[in-house]
Amino acid sequence: MSSGITVTGVSRSFGAVSALLDATLTVPAGSVTALIGPNGSGKTTLLLILATLLTPDAGTIRINGHDPVTEPERVRALLGWMPDTLGSWPSLSARAALQTTGRMYRLTREQAAVRADELIALTDLGDFADRPSRVLSRGQKQRLSLARALVHSPGVLLLDEPASGLDPAARAALRHLLRRLAGEGTAILVSSHVLAELDEMADAAVYLADGRTASPEQVAAAGASARAWRIRSLDEAALERALATPGVVGALVQVRGVDQLGTLVQVENEASAAALLHNLVLSGVPVCDFGPAVGNLEHTFHDLTRAALPTGSEARE
Amino acid sequence: MTAARNRIFLSGLWLIVTLELRQRVRGVSWYVLLGVFMLLVGVVTFLLWLATSAWLSGGGGVFSTIIFFVLLLGTLVSPALSGNAVNGDRDAGTLATTQVTLISTGQLVLGKFLAAWITALAFLAAALPFLIFAVVLGEVSLATIAVSVLVLAAELGVIAAVGVGLSGILTRPLFSIVLTYLVVAALSLGTLIAFALLGTATQQQATNVNYYVVSSTFDEKTGTQSDIVCSTAQTTTRNVPRFDYFWFFLAANPYVVVADAAPGSFNDAGYPTDLFGQIAVGVRSAQAPPELFTESNGCERAAQGSYRDTTFSDSEAYSGQAYDPGPTAQEIYDGAVPSWFIGLTMHLLLAAGALVWAWRRTRTPATHLPTGSRIA
Repeated sequence: MSSGITVTGVSRSFGAVSALLDATLTVPAGSVTALIGPNGSGKTTLLLILATLLTPDAGTIRINGHDPVTEPERVRALLGWMPDTLGSWPSLSARAALQTTGRMYRLTREQAAVRADELIALTDLGDFADRPSRVLSRGQKQRLSLARALVHSPGVLLLDEPASGLDPAARAALRHLLRRLAGEGTAILVSSHVLAELDEMADAAVYLADGRTASPEQVAAAGASARAWRIRSLDEAALERALATPGVVGALVQVRGVDQLGTLVQVENEASAAALLHNLVLSGVPVCDFGPAVGNLEHTFHDLTRAALPTGSEARE
Repeated sequence: MTAARNRIFLSGLWLIVTLELRQRVRGVSWYVLLGVFMLLVGVVTFLLWLATSAWLSGGGGVFSTIIFFVLLLGTLVSPALSGNAVNGDRDAGTLATTQVTLISTGQLVLGKFLAAWITALAFLAAALPFLIFAVVLGEVSLATIAVSVLVLAAELGVIAAVGVGLSGILTRPLFSIVLTYLVVAALSLGTLIAFALLGTATQQQATNVNYYVVSSTFDEKTGTQSDIVCSTAQTTTRNVPRFDYFWFFLAANPYVVVADAAPGSFNDAGYPTDLFGQIAVGVRSAQAPPELFTESNGCERAAQGSYRDTTFSDSEAYSGQAYDPGPTAQEIYDGAVPSWFIGLTMHLLLAAGALVWAWRRTRTPATHLPTGSRIA
């Protein structure tokens, strides 16, 4: 019996619209996997299928070894799902909503009450726990929704845009919580548009475009392609001079301009980036910041989405 | 094993019922509604008490009218409370979060139905003091109380089931609420309209053949006629409506079901003592086909000596032959087929069908989605 999520060749269409064409991915137990794709690429459809709400047209899915189509009850018992729509029973307090959800997972009244208190503390809802949920703010509802997905301590967690509406402190708390849950052996699949944030917490990423997941080769190629690095120096003039010197900037490096955060250079690969930094330091430029301008996930995402366009990757910039 | 499964099913079901009641029946507005309802029933009870001289004739009229009043109010309020049970949750985003738990679709649909039914029964409970008052007035049999209250409760359940069912079948809450009202209207008013229109549209020719005495010799001593010259057959025709073909439309009316189910209660003159009886007699008399051929032979009667000129004061013989008062209401009632169980069976099938269909449409994992709907 495999643990975590395994999806092979899943497709699903709604009438003439194909939402998913070919999704293949694995989320091992004890890891956080990011699900990344543009709007309308099929992320939510995939999560709905994994959450036992939709049947796939084709393909196989195993969640801790169980098929969500034929054994939905077993899958539901071990799966937590946080939807992208914030639904909560408006006249129930957060505490009552969590207790009710716990009872829906067949916890006893006492177990549900204890668990609700734990989750209120965990998601920092204490001050709002006894107010009707219709008065909660978006971020508070978001935290309630996360708490609800955790009621039955699921071994597999599906989160659809969990960070939207959260303030920076709550985002950091979410990140820590997900890392801790992964550390305890939970398989977590997170979809989000905030790619920088996923960079910090995801062990792996699945890219979905037009209903297809990108193959590992495509991802590797995209990740290795040329990308922008940002350089900041205490002495901008010295940096500018050094970058204009032919010996410092290698053949695989190309200066692209200066923005408010520093100078952007196009670097072919990490080796040439290292060589560039080495040369700059040798030339006496006081470099205080040197790193990729966009995160790994974002870089790969942009590269894959651009590759999907007919103009091809040559069209960039 | 099965006992444990049943206990799990029932506890989940009850969880949904209580959740629904906490969600839908909340706060002040609900109690104001019940208060207004009680006030209305109180006024109606008082007026009926005056109008029917209930202190003399007993509480049958008051009791039956209150039952109908509860049915009327229940059918007016219930669709609004039940007609968005499932699709309203889908709009609010709370349906899918319930469906990913261990609550089954059966528990969900059935729980919502039970909650809607309990809500409608609250109106019956609120009318209870007035029903007891009517019973205290006397002349209401235990059977009438039991049967009419049970059938009323069943009819309220049917409306609740139709509302919850349509809310599971249709995507848009407004549409399912309106359609539930239309179903209620079709049963309560549509059946009457269909019955009246179809009955009158299906006219048939009724023939009456009449023979009368053209001339005769009357013997005053014996009071008999001789040398009777009879007329030829005088045929007259007229069109009569065939309500008897369509009486089952009335059987589908919830008010008729309640009225017809209650055991008939008649006074010494064979006249119904409550509204149930009056409606039941009306519906059952529609079962009798009209007489399409009638013959009245004055010559025969004259020859038998029973027909006399009205100048003679022997009114006994006259009234015994020429005037027939017809069957009493009680005779019509007893001579016809009771229809309430047909109507009730149709309603129960409708309710069960609506719930089963809603269950099929709400089941997850869903194989198909209605266009334009998001499952979450």
